[in-house]
Formats: sequence, C-alpha cells, structure tokens
Amino acid sequence: MRNPLTILRQRLAAHREVRADGGTATEAGSILDRDSVRSAPFWLPPFLLIGLFIYGAIIWNIVLSLTDFQGLGSPDYSALDIENYVIAFTGGTPSWSSLTVDPVWNAAWNTVVLMVSFSVVCLAVGLVMAILVDQEIRFENTFRTIYLLPMSLSFVVTAKFWLYMYNVETGLVNLILGAVGVGPIEIVQNPELKLAAVAFALIWQFSGYAMIVYLAGLRAIPTSHFEAARVDGASTIRMYWRVIIPQLRTATVSALVVLTVFSLKAFDFLFSMYGGYQPGPSADILATRMVREAYANGNWAYGSAIAVLLFIMALTIVAPYIYTQYQRGEL
Amino acid sequence: MSEHDTPVSRRTVLTTTSAAAIAGLAGCSGGGSGGGGDGGGNDGGSELELLHAWSSGDGNAAIEALIEGFQEEYPDVEFAEEPVDGAARSNLDQVVLNKLQANDPPSTFQTWPGNTLDKFEGAYEDIEGDVWNEDLKENYLAGPQEQAQYDGSYVTVPLNIHRINNLFYNTAVLEEAGVDPESLSSPSDVVDACETIATETDAIPFAQQTSGSWSTVQLWETTLLGQAGIDGYEAFINGEGDTGAVESALQSVVDLSEYYPSDSSSISFTEANTMVMEGNAAFIHQGDWAAGAYSNADEFNYGDDWGQVTYPGTSGSYLLNMDSFPYLANNPSPEATKQFLSYCGSAEGQVLFNAEKGSIPPRSDADVSSLNTFQQDQFEDFNAADNQPPSVQHGLAVSPGVSTNISSAFSGFLEDYDAAATAEALINAFN
Repeated sequence: MRNPLTILRQRLAAHREVRADGGTATEAGSILDRDSVRSAPFWLPPFLLIGLFIYGAIIWNIVLSLTDFQGLGSPDYSALDIENYVIAFTGGTPSWSSLTVDPVWNAAWNTVVLMVSFSVVCLAVGLVMAILVDQEIRFENTFRTIYLLPMSLSFVVTAKFWLYMYNVETGLVNLILGAVGVGPIEIVQNPELKLAAVAFALIWQFSGYAMIVYLAGLRAIPTSHFEAARVDGASTIRMYWRVIIPQLRTATVSALVVLTVFSLKAFDFLFSMYGGYQPGPSADILATRMVREAYANGNWAYGSAIAVLLFIMALTIVAPYIYTQYQRGEL
Repeated sequence: MSEHDTPVSRRTVLTTTSAAAIAGLAGCSGGGSGGGGDGGGNDGGSELELLHAWSSGDGNAAIEALIEGFQEEYPDVEFAEEPVDGAARSNLDQVVLNKLQANDPPSTFQTWPGNTLDKFEGAYEDIEGDVWNEDLKENYLAGPQEQAQYDGSYVTVPLNIHRINNLFYNTAVLEEAGVDPESLSSPSDVVDACETIATETDAIPFAQQTSGSWSTVQLWETTLLGQAGIDGYEAFINGEGDTGAVESALQSVVDLSEYYPSDSSSISFTEANTMVMEGNAAFIHQGDWAAGAYSNADEFNYGDDWGQVTYPGTSGSYLLNMDSFPYLANNPSPEATKQFLSYCGSAEGQVLFNAEKGSIPPRSDADVSSLNTFQQDQFEDFNAADNQPPSVQHGLAVSPGVSTNISSAFSGFLEDYDAAATAEALINAFN
C-alpha cells in the first residue's frame, strides 16, 4: 500500500528540482520533509483537540460574557457590551434582570485571601517538612507517604472530615484547644474563623505536595554545597538560608503555581462543607458565586463574566512563571 | 483458504460487528427503561421520557410504585425512563435545560411547582381540559391548585405534599420536662418550652443543623407564618413584606438558637433527627420527611415514642412543599405524557406514590387508608386547613433568583445572627 503522503511529497519534491540552481537548494528540501510536518500525525490531533476544547472554550466563554444571555433560549451575539463587567465591579440592576445584583468584591477578596494564605503557608510547611525528611532519617519513605496521602483524597472526603474535626463538642481541634485551656470555639459558622478554617484544611491536604517538590529540589543540590558551607563554618540555619533555599527557586515557583490553581478550585471543598454553594459571606469565593449565578439563577452571561475574572486571576499567577521559564530557555 | 475469501470474510466481520453494535445500542436504550419489563416494540418517538432524580431510597420506591401502577392501567405506553444520576435537583435541572436548549424536551420531569417553574419560562404548555379537567379542579384544594399554574394556566400536576410547619418531639423527653406540646400556641411558647426542657432535663431542647442554610430558612418561614399570620406571610412572598414582622420572626429564631445543639454547625439533618430518635433532643422542626426515619426505626412508634404538632402559631395552615410533573411544549409523546400526567392526578396514583414517599396526596378525595397513621393524621389536617401557603425554601413561593438571594441572606445570618441586617437583606431580596 502506498502512502498518499509519500506520493504527494515526491510530486512536491519534483517541482523543487525544476528550479534548482545550485547545491544549497537540496538542503531546504521539500516542505513535507520538515520535522514539524513529518511529526504532524503525532502532535496535530492533540493540538486541535486542545485548541478547540480549551482555548476555543475560553474564547467562547469570553464572548458569552459580553452577551445578555439569561434563562432559556440562545445567546444573542449581535449586541456585545461590557455591562456584565460593570455590574460585577459596581453592582446594580442589569438590563437582563429585574433583580439587583451585588458586585463581586467580597468574593474576589476572599478568593485572594484564601489563595495567598493557603499558598504561602503551604510552601512554608512543605519546605520545613522536606528539610526534616531530608536529614537521612529512618523510615523516610514511610513519612513521605504519610505526608503525601491527604492529597490523594478528594475534597468531598476532606471537607466532611474537617467538618467533624471542627465540631465544637467532639472534634479533635476543640479537644486539643480544650486540653490547653482554650475554648471550645465555634469554627464552622464563625465569620472570623471560617475562611481560616478552610485554608487550614487545604494546607493540611496539600503541604505534602509542596514537601515532595522541595524534596526533589533538595536532592538535586550537590552534597558539595552542604559540605562547603559546613567547612566555612556556617550554622545549620545559616546554611539553609544562604546556600540551600536560594537554590530552590524553581521548585518554589512550580509548586506555587500548582497550589494557587488548587486554591482557586476550593469550590468542591466549600460545596461539601456547607451543603451547597452558599458558604456565607465570609467564605464566599468567586467560584461559588459563579456557580450560584449560572446554575441557580440561570444568569449565564454574568456567570461567564465571573469565570473570566477568575481566569484572569489564575493567569496573573501562571503567566509570569511561564514567561520566566521561557526566558531561561526552559520551555 | 484461497486469497479470494479474505475480503468476503472481512466484510462479514464488519457486518456482524456493526449489527452487534446496533443491537448493543438498542439494548442500552432498552435497559434504560428500568421497571419496563417487556422491552420489545420500541416505537421511536412515542416513548415516554420521564426525567427524575429519585434514584435511591424512598423516592425511588415511590416513583417505581407510581410507574408500576400506571403501566397496569396503560399497558401500551413505553417508558424511556432515565433517572438523572447524582440525585441532586440542580443536576436534573441542568439536564433538562440542556435538552430544552437543544430543542429536544423530555416528556416530563420532576420539579417543584409554583415559582420554580420560572426557570424554564416559556417551555410549558397549557394542559387545562386534557389533564386538568373538572375532576382535578374539584378535588385539588385551592393552595396546591394555584401552585400548579404558571401565569394563570395549568401546566403541571402536583403529585405529593410534604408539610413544612411541623414540630416533632420525643414523648419521653417532653414528659420528663413536664411540657405539653399541645398547649404551645405561638413561636415564643416554643422558646419558653425549650427553656423548661433545658432546666428540667439533660436533653438538647431543639435539634437543628446549621452547616447549611436550608433548615434555618424553613424554621424562619414557619415562624413568620406563626407570628405574622397568613396575610403577613403572603405579603412577604409577594415582595411587600413588613420589615418589622420579618425581623421579629428572625429574632425569634435567634432566641431559639440558644437551645440548638452546641455543635449544630458541624452536623447534618440526619444527625439532628437521630438526636430526637435517641432521646438526646426534645424537639425538631422539619418537613415531614423527618417522620420517614422514625417509621424505619424499630421501637420508635408514632404516638408512644414520638409525636407531631402543627408548629405553634400556624394552626389552620398547611405549609406546602410539593413535587410535580409539568407538561413541556413540543412534547415528544403528547398522548402518553397526558395519560401519565392524568394518572399522576388520580387519587389511585397519588396513594401508590405517597405510601412509599411518606408525604400525602394533594387530592382531597384520596383514600388514605393504606397510608400509615401519621400520614392519615396529616391528611386530615390538610383537608381541615384554612389555607395552604407555598414554602419559600422549597421554591414554591419565590422565583429562583429571589430564592438564591434569600439563601444568601440566611448564610450570612448563620454567621452572625444579626436579625436587623438579615431582615433588610430579606426584604431587598425581591429588588
């Protein structure tokens, strides 16, 4: 059986030969001889699929957020405006609804607080654990597995688990607080502790991941660096602070990106913990707000606008990372 | 074998494979019919496509009983029954919405009637005459009948009624405390009774969950009905509520919250209800699905171990939570759907369904002798009620957008129990 590609290539190549005037033309060869074209069967299908379903969907979502699509029917793409973004920032009664819509500041602020506190603390805890596990202790693998295990659980499981942990009467958190003479304190519905409690539970779940990333980073640092620091008389703290941690920059950035994205997805956790997408004003994040607008109220376009804001937030975290990677030639 | 045979046998293989694939597909759609039975004779478009989220428990038993009864009466109607997995109502709505937007509506689907119908505005068709004939109009009381209408035309058939304004109690605990539930006559009496229970016994006076807002919305709407009366309640659901009345009902809930379990924010409704069953709590305010758990428990009998009174202050009202099946325009199986909806509107079908579901039939002429004693008592209350107002929490009284605003207001209320601020948010929920 003859490959039609082969036939086509031969024909194209024949054309080339006609205008060949020297020795250099043969190096360029056929357009079909290029690596990128020859490997197309491997990269093109996934490229098209990702292009359509990821980037196509993102673009569609952005366009949708400019419409007035609400309720049943289909969106009207002929009249696009930024009304939904104005409403998202200032509130008011949009043209597509008879009800007033609150701005998203509260949810956006909660999202940022959750994102920053979760990521930073998670990295710090992960780093400390990684350094401890790296001390060539016994049962190192066991510890590593234990710390990483929570990450394998779904948010639904951990949310129900922490709902129990935070129980005022029987929860472990309050039992420990009671043992040191504090409490018991209401946590789950306490406006001052709610978001912190959610962040704490997420840190518990994901610090193991940060540990693994850091551990890999630590192992990549040659032993000679540790030895040199020791010979120069650096204390342990000084050694890590001045010599080791600066070399963990790549590990930090890549863990940070993944953790931030996880924190944006805390929706599942809140949904299971508070039995729906109404976690209350002090724990309301953009994701819960978005689902509420879209699926409870049928305000599709407005929900899309919130999704775009969330997307921009994720992008501001990821884009600098990708850009520096690109600049360093690591992409 | 000669070379000549190869293409033939390939073709044979292909034919056989595709035949098998088609048979497999047909088998899948046949398998979807659930309790269908005979499976054969798929007649394409005339299958009744019924979407519901009752995929487990008493709901599943109830819908199966209903379908079985229907098929005995109308053996010719085929079902393409596709319960929506995940059992969440919002998920079901999503499926229905996708189908409506693809212009491929199901025959009918499970939904709350009343203002919830707003969600698919314009997708329904009037079934007055065909389904809502004189017989139905005569036998549905005014309240449920009003909920079956959207913009003045009959579009859906309510199938069952769960009551919201109940106060369930553990008899032994109340006896120990010396509280007579029948003597309570207003929401504030409940607070007083709770105080007595707190001083006289070790039990938790009022079992309530506060991790989600729905139980508190129910409690507040019942309290509002008890304090402001039917007029005050209807004013609120029409968007003309009195801030003072709303706030005072909220304040009453704040007073009552003193007597909740201290870990109310970490427990679920099931756990709260179990407290009552185990004698660790005295009262619980819930829809009458709470009684479903009691009748499944051994040694916990209606009358002896537990009882129910109409929530103090709301006597004369039967606060409605209903499920219904609407008729969608552009129906894939007009005749069969109307037959099914008529069966849902019949006393016989409703009794079969409600015997399993634990709720009561909306038809006042239903023969409830096959239901349990508690359901019979509820049914008696229902027929004797002066009015049947729709529930706020369960989507009947307010449109989905308003309902979301109300839930948001209550999710804030659960954080700070600020009655004044919440009252303002509730009144503003309509704007």
